[in-house]
This record gives sequence, structure tokens and C-alpha cells, in this order.
Amino acid sequence: MRYIPLKALILTLLKELGLAFLLLLGVSFVVFAILYAAPGDQFNVLLEGQLPTEEARAGIREAIGTAQTWYGQYSSWLLNVLSGNFGTSVRTGLPVAAELLNVSLNTLYLTLGSMAVTLLIAVPIALYSSVRGHSVVISWPLTMLGYVISALPVFWLAYIAIYISIHSFDFFPLASMSESQGGNAWLYTLVPVLVLGLGSGTISEVIRNLREEMTRVMAEDYLRTARAKGASVWRHAFKEGLLLPVTEIIASKIPFMLGGAVIVEQIFNWPGMGRMAWQAAQDRDFPVIMGIALVAAAFVRAGSLLQRMVCTAVNPQQARD
Amino acid sequence: MTQPLLKIENLQTYFYARSKHSFVRAVDGVSLEVGQRETVGVVGESGSGKSITAMSIMGLIGAGPGVISGSIHFAGTRVRQNLLDGLDKYVRITEKNNRVMAVSKDESGWQKHSEKLMKNLRGKEIAMIFQNPRASLNPYITVGEQITEAVRLHTENKSVKEARERAIYWLEQVKIDSPRLRFNAYPSDMSGGMCQRAMIAMALSSEPALLIADEPTTGLDATIQSKIVGLLEELKYETGISTLLISHDISVISRLADRVAVMYGGAVVEYGPAKSVLGMGQPTKHPYTAALLASVPSEQKIRDKANLQTIEGDVLDTINVPAGCRFYARCNRVTPEIREKCATLHPGLKEVSPGHQMRCWLHCS
Repeated sequence: MRYIPLKALILTLLKELGLAFLLLLGVSFVVFAILYAAPGDQFNVLLEGQLPTEEARAGIREAIGTAQTWYGQYSSWLLNVLSGNFGTSVRTGLPVAAELLNVSLNTLYLTLGSMAVTLLIAVPIALYSSVRGHSVVISWPLTMLGYVISALPVFWLAYIAIYISIHSFDFFPLASMSESQGGNAWLYTLVPVLVLGLGSGTISEVIRNLREEMTRVMAEDYLRTARAKGASVWRHAFKEGLLLPVTEIIASKIPFMLGGAVIVEQIFNWPGMGRMAWQAAQDRDFPVIMGIALVAAAFVRAGSLLQRMVCTAVNPQQARD
Repeated sequence: MTQPLLKIENLQTYFYARSKHSFVRAVDGVSLEVGQRETVGVVGESGSGKSITAMSIMGLIGAGPGVISGSIHFAGTRVRQNLLDGLDKYVRITEKNNRVMAVSKDESGWQKHSEKLMKNLRGKEIAMIFQNPRASLNPYITVGEQITEAVRLHTENKSVKEARERAIYWLEQVKIDSPRLRFNAYPSDMSGGMCQRAMIAMALSSEPALLIADEPTTGLDATIQSKIVGLLEELKYETGISTLLISHDISVISRLADRVAVMYGGAVVEYGPAKSVLGMGQPTKHPYTAALLASVPSEQKIRDKANLQTIEGDVLDTINVPAGCRFYARCNRVTPEIREKCATLHPGLKEVSPGHQMRCWLHCS
């Protein structure tokens, strides 16, 4: 008979999806505007040294349809996207949608994995030091360790990790995700996941954030009641002290994780969104850049959707308004 | 006389003020008894140590290094033990020239031991209700589930269905209207008065031997206060539960308590049957009790729009406790004959009439 605010959950979902739609529209427009205003276009890169005359270039543009005004270009792209067509990559000539799905799954694996690593390290430290704050002996070094790890820059940590895994463990994490690795290819993917999870500077922040929340909640009147009635303190502190802050952290850290993914994917040759975006930016591959921007924004919105849903599910006040 | 349910002897709850090299003596040598089916009221200003006494009984003193000594004997039908048994071995106090130089306390050892002592008592034998009932209920769990939890933890009703029925029964007992509807309400859906009723239902649902009510009416509207006191009064006669009632509100105490302890500056200054401590027209009264009673506005005074009577001065500084009577600095009853005694000698708790004790040089020499 546990009460689940189903109606409120559906309402929140619809509201969030509507909001996400508007936001994605906005993001696509802003990205388009930046690309349009930026110097250089895809044809300069594509046709470098091959078709030198202005007339020939204009002819190609006409053929692909870039000669339109900016709003013409944007609206035709938008209409295509709405009907599920993300266009074709200028560089490879392949449809963007299929490639986008592929790389976004790889990036999702990398970011979610590293998020899990961060939380697995930070949550126990935070919980331990929030309840045993007075026994400085153990909680202080743990916290310091978290801080030191977080101070390591991702790119440096990545190279160190590669160095160590090659020299000490005799394995080469760079060729990750290729088929040559055989059955235990997933082992190789762990290195970049660990690097991004450890090095993105989030661990110390998560520790501090969670510890503060937990300490605050532990001092709440209702936890005194829980103690006085002989109930489990953790059971009563779980929702406000752990579940809500953790979902909030996940939601707010996704953009940072995506940013870190760009670097890690470059270094580890990881076929993800970050590397693809980097490549596309150099090629002025507009359809790919636009597609990636949309997917990245969708990831961020998905994080905040998750947070809102959890909030609504556990918090009756939230559910009402 | 049968053994009292709760017998507090010389309870001392001190907090160490490191910078001042001394203890804050929040509770300094309190002895109290709560008998079977008896309601004992503890009254005093804020800062007099009432709530700390209650927290000490429950083992809920969190802020370290808090030092608790004395003994609290609990003698229920199922459990009999000293609630402070063996806690002193976790603390070592270094004193030099009457100054506390260091207090080393094995905080986690203390906590663990205290948890072990209280494990079968908290909620089960001793239940507690607090001030600010809305904040005292978990805002993320329905009221019904919170009561059900207490029922399942401490009574024979282990199945969810039975426990829910029991919870609804207790919601009915505290006269919440449409209890089945309120069962699924969150604390934020309910008024403060209803939250306190739910708290009382939760406390009673585990069928404890002793109820500690720590300022149960504080933070509620005046009309609600009176209704909650009315409810506690009814429950007192219906269930016959022993109660330790703590309040700064002397009218609440006088409606409910059988015996009253008046606390000032961490010590009990007057202790006895409610009639003789709070009753009008009693010749022997502690000056502090008299001042407290005088500060309650009577109907006549309200009609006359007279100024409220106050007790001059501040609450006692419990770090530098004076050598003499604690109330001396604020007392208006000091006579020239006893002045020297009041200023230099701490009066002991002496019996002025059967069962009625007092710390005052005026009434007992």
C-alpha cells in the first residue's frame, strides 16, 4: 500500500519532456548561429586545393543547398531532424543518425561508468566522515586522499594510466573497443572509465557536498525522533541525506563529465561523441556538430529529468506543486 | 512503597568548554523519581536543564564531549537497569587547581555502549515526544507508516496488516478526525496540532512504560496547546502511563502533573506534590517558584491590562556556578539574617513537609 504519486510523476515527466524539447530547440539554434557566424565553412575544408575557382565552389554549394539564406538553412535542417533525418556527414558522406547513435552509446558508457567510479569512492568516504566526524584519525586521511586524487588533471592522469598499464601490466588500453582484443575487450575500457571517474575533480566536490548534506540531515529533529523511537537512523536519513543529493550530483555533473570525455576520448582513441565532435569541428562538418550538440544537450536534460522524477517520487511537497 | 519506575540519582550532565577550562554544568546533581502511573512535571526557565535531563535519560546527548554521571535506574516489568551503567569508563578528566585541564572521551566507545544500553528501551520502554511536532516527524514518510514502524519494531504485531490496523487504532485514540485518511497523509499535509497528536500516537503505539514529553505544547497555537493538554489529560486517565512532563509553561504542568520538580540553573530547587508546590495559599514556597507563579498572568491582571510580572536578572551562568544559592542574585526574598548564608553556602534539598523538599535558607536552616 506504499503510496506512489503516479499522477504527479506523469505530470513531471510531461512537463520535463516539453521543457527539454524547447531547450533542445534553443540549443540547436544557438549552435547553428555560432557555426554560421564562425569563419570558414565546410567547403573550404572539403575542397581544399581541389576546385580553386569561385564559380566551381558556388556550383557545389548550389548543388548541396548551402546557398540559401541562414534561416532557410536552419529551417530545412530542423524539418529534417524532426522527421528523423540528421543529414549526412560532409566528411564521410554517411548518414549522421546511425553514427551518432553509435558514438553516443560509447560516450554514455564512458560517462556513466566514470560517474559510478566517482560515486563508489566518494559516497562511502562522505558517509563515514559524516557520522564519525569526531574520530579524525581515519576520516581525515580519507578525505585528503579524495582531495589529492581530484587535484590531478585528467590529461596527466590519462597519460600516467597508459604508461602504467603498458609498463607494469603489459596491456595497451589505446586500442579500446576494436575487435582485435577478443573476449575481454571490456577490461581495456576500464582504464579510461577509471581515469575520467578519478580525475575529473568531482570526487572532492561530491565528498564535501554529500558530507554536508548528511551532517545537516543527521541534525534534523526528525532524526532525533527516529533515534528516540529506536528506529534505524539510516532508514530515516536515506531519502533526504543520500538519495536526493546523489541524484542532484549526477544531474549537475553530466556536463562536466561530457567535457572531460572530450579529453579522455582523444587520449584513449575512444570512438565517442567527444572525439567525433573534435574531428567534426576541425572539418566544419556542420550536420555532425549539430547532431552531437543535440545529443549532448539531451544527455544533460535526461540527467535533470531523472533528478526531477526522483524528487517527485520521494518528496510529497514537490509532487503537489 | 513499591519501587519507582524511574529513579534518577545525582544526574550530572556537563559539557566541556575547552577555552574556559571548565564544565558547562547543564544538569548538576538532579534527583527525580517517577512512580508507576504517575505524572511528574519538570518546570523552569529555558536553560535550566530540563530538556538536557530528558535527553540524558534517552541517551540522546550528542554533542561531545558531553559527560554524564550519576545513575538512572529504570525498573519496568521487562527491563531493569541503570541507563548510565559503565559509561564513566570512557571518559578521563584531568583536573588541576579546580580547573579542568583536559577531557578525553572515547566518543565512539561511549556511543556504542550507550546504544547497547538503550537498545531495548528506546521507543519500547521509554517513548518521547518533542516540541515542534511537524519538524519531529519525517517529512518523507507518511504519518501512518511512521506509526506502523514503531508498532512493528516494538510490539507483537509484526505483520504489516496488523500493524497498520494498530496504527489506525492509535490515531483514533488521539482523536485525529478521519484516521484512515490521515494514515496516508504526510506531515506537511497536517496542522501542527495534528502532527503532535500523531507524535503522541506514535509514542504510545509501542505501549511504553514511560512517556517523556519534552515541551509538548511549545510551538503550537494557544488554542491547540490547550487541546493537546486536554488530550494528554485524557490519555493519562485512560492508559495510566507514567509520564515525565517537561515544560516551561506552569499552567500545563499544573493541569497534568501529580508531582512537580522546579529546576533552576541545572538543579532542582523545589520538589514535591503538585498541590503543595504550585498551590495558591501555601505559606512555604521557594522564592523562584513564587516568582514563576507570579509571572503567569491571571485573568484579573489581563482584565486590568496590568504589566506582566517578570523575574529580574538573567538565567544562571552554568559555567561559573556561584558558591552560594544559585538563585541568590535574583532572589527578592533575602532577609538580612540569612543573607550571608545565601551568598556563600549552597542550600541542600530539605524536607519542609512530608514529600515536599526545597533548597532555600528561608524555609530550612
